Amino acid sequence: MRALTQTTTLLVDAYRELNAKKLFWIAIGLNVLMIAIYAGLGINERGVTFFHWGFESPFNEQFVSKQLFYELQFVTWGVPFLTWVSTILALISTAAMIPDMITGGSIEMLLSKPMGRIRLLLTKFATGLLFVAMQVLVFSGGCFLVLWLRGGVVEPSLFLAVPIVVLFFSYLFCVCVLLGLLTRSTIATLLLTVGFWVVVFIVNSADDVLLLQRESAILRLEDAEANLDRQIALSDRMIQNVEARDEQITTPEGEEIKDLDERRNAVNIALGPSRQRLVDRRESVENWTSWSSRVTLLKVVFPKTQETIQLLTRHLISEDDLNRTTGASSDVPPPDSMSDDDQAFNDPRVAERVDAAKRDRSLAWVLGTSVGFELFILGIACVIFVRRDF
Amino acid sequence: MSTINAPEHVIDLAHVAKTYRGKIPALRGIEMRVRRGEVFGLLGPNGAGKSTLVKILMTVIRPSKCKGTLLGEPVGRKGTLARVGYLPEHHRFPGHLKGWQVLDFYGAMGGVERRERRKRIDGLLELVGMTDWRTTPVRRYSKGMRQRVGIAQALMNDPALVLLDEPTDGVDPQGRRDIRDICARLRDEGRTVFINSHLLSELEMVCDRVAILVQGLVRSQGTLTELTEGQRYYEIALDGSAEDAQRAISEALPPGVATAPDGVIDGAMPTGEWVRVDAGRLRIGTDDAGLMQPILRSLVSRGAAVRSMGSHRPSLEDLFLQAVKDDAGNELGPGAAKRPNNKRERTSS
Repeated sequence: MRALTQTTTLLVDAYRELNAKKLFWIAIGLNVLMIAIYAGLGINERGVTFFHWGFESPFNEQFVSKQLFYELQFVTWGVPFLTWVSTILALISTAAMIPDMITGGSIEMLLSKPMGRIRLLLTKFATGLLFVAMQVLVFSGGCFLVLWLRGGVVEPSLFLAVPIVVLFFSYLFCVCVLLGLLTRSTIATLLLTVGFWVVVFIVNSADDVLLLQRESAILRLEDAEANLDRQIALSDRMIQNVEARDEQITTPEGEEIKDLDERRNAVNIALGPSRQRLVDRRESVENWTSWSSRVTLLKVVFPKTQETIQLLTRHLISEDDLNRTTGASSDVPPPDSMSDDDQAFNDPRVAERVDAAKRDRSLAWVLGTSVGFELFILGIACVIFVRRDF
Repeated sequence: MSTINAPEHVIDLAHVAKTYRGKIPALRGIEMRVRRGEVFGLLGPNGAGKSTLVKILMTVIRPSKCKGTLLGEPVGRKGTLARVGYLPEHHRFPGHLKGWQVLDFYGAMGGVERRERRKRIDGLLELVGMTDWRTTPVRRYSKGMRQRVGIAQALMNDPALVLLDEPTDGVDPQGRRDIRDICARLRDEGRTVFINSHLLSELEMVCDRVAILVQGLVRSQGTLTELTEGQRYYEIALDGSAEDAQRAISEALPPGVATAPDGVIDGAMPTGEWVRVDAGRLRIGTDDAGLMQPILRSLVSRGAAVRSMGSHRPSLEDLFLQAVKDDAGNELGPGAAKRPNNKRERTSS
């Protein structure tokens, strides 16, 4: 009973603290503005509308349903807004939480109460997530109403944004808590947490780039293999033609060539370069696969910020809908003037394969490793907090 | 507050030691007992370890060694703190809270249920004279006001023991008197009040017993009567020039009291009591008024003009100053136990 009273009190106090901060109300105001913009967007038979303005577009009601249109808008700019803007505002608002708590004169008041240190720290951690939870709840609630009133669809899945964005923020906030304990400084905590976020972003970007390189290399290898098969088939037909004329295939010195591969090379001069291209591309695939595996291994220890947020997209937009809406341009082949590399990167099959590779990463891997990271960091923070004299 | 089966000593410390980072000794084996229902004062110079001791009792600092109990439970047990009220020195309340919310918040953290908190808040704010500031955010409070609210929050859980660290810090004279009255009232209610303060005169007025902490050790503890045992004295002050007064006193004292070469008398009565005469004042180490009567009559018969006569005991300040000196009379500097400065000191110690 006492534990419940204390936990409730800390949550109520966190709300009071947020309520007293201007930044909290600025963030709520931003959310309301974004909801108003979301409500202003619409779709009809001719194209897209924004309040009373209309814009003709192939992206119209015949192409996507109203529900899919609003869901796409939600994941296209609503989720990034929550991920970036709300998270930055939340970090600014909560970075002071732990340094303030452990300041002399303040920490004694809390530690002298009948509450264990670990429970105190973890409850404080939970109250820090309240800022983001409230922001996302307001935003999701607003978007839910817009979808219901304007799209005519009741879509409670939008509220999945609350746990997913809070989970995403918790990856960063656990680092913020640890750094707050270590540095005791709000500015240092904020800067170092943002620095950590940048590192995670770099690792994620490196993973994306290497995945793209690997998949395009595999695709080029497959093309090279197909090309070689075609060349071999052509060579075989040419050999049959020679043999049909009762002629021999000889070296420049006039000796007859017996070996089949050598006979093929002799009749088709394009076969040699094709074989060499295949060897080069195999090397390239091995190279990119090796680097991609290393970064994926490195990524295991970091929280999967990007993948966690993509869980929301995965849930809201089905793979078919995603292919249908993004596949509008996939039929257009890359221009011939592009180099082999550019053509491969612009090949829609590469994007599909990269997306498929990402979707293949299981929920257990994404959440398990990320929550594992979070628990590890919080564990270190708890050990420091429990052992420290204030 | 329940006193059924309560132990006689609310604080019973047999051995408390704390060494910071394995090198700097702050407490070197504190032995201290605080009885139930008394106001106990802890005093000592800066760095003596007073705050460290209080923080160990409140689990803010982990002791290196600790053998002792708080309210009958081993020191460090979190559950015991539900019956303890605490006001730290230089405390800071969250600035967004209003006066009543501070009491509500810390009361709840102390495990007090909502209904009880609502009942107690108004009474405690009235007790500390802060009713009119109930709904004002604490960031607008003066230091004295914060101190008053701090005392009120320490009482929210109806504690059996109240630890106040420098409670009169920043408080005006009226406020100090109010705090003394509150301490006395808490004692009358059967609670124990433990005060850590630099203001010796404040402690002297309100404390039943005191302990003097010097360099991480309890130098002395007891009631003022116990601590001044053997140090009470009578003083007779004479009017007129110092030479005349000196002469009159010399003649009035029984034969055999030693006289120093510079004329200052520093000796003993035939019955053993110490005697000191300086600047026309005669002091004899006794609380027996009968012993003084013949000397007073003798002085009057010799025509000496007696300005005053009275019984005295050393003040708490005198005791404190005695305690912070070593046996050779050298002042024990601020800070906890001195660390040896060099190898030679370490070897010799």
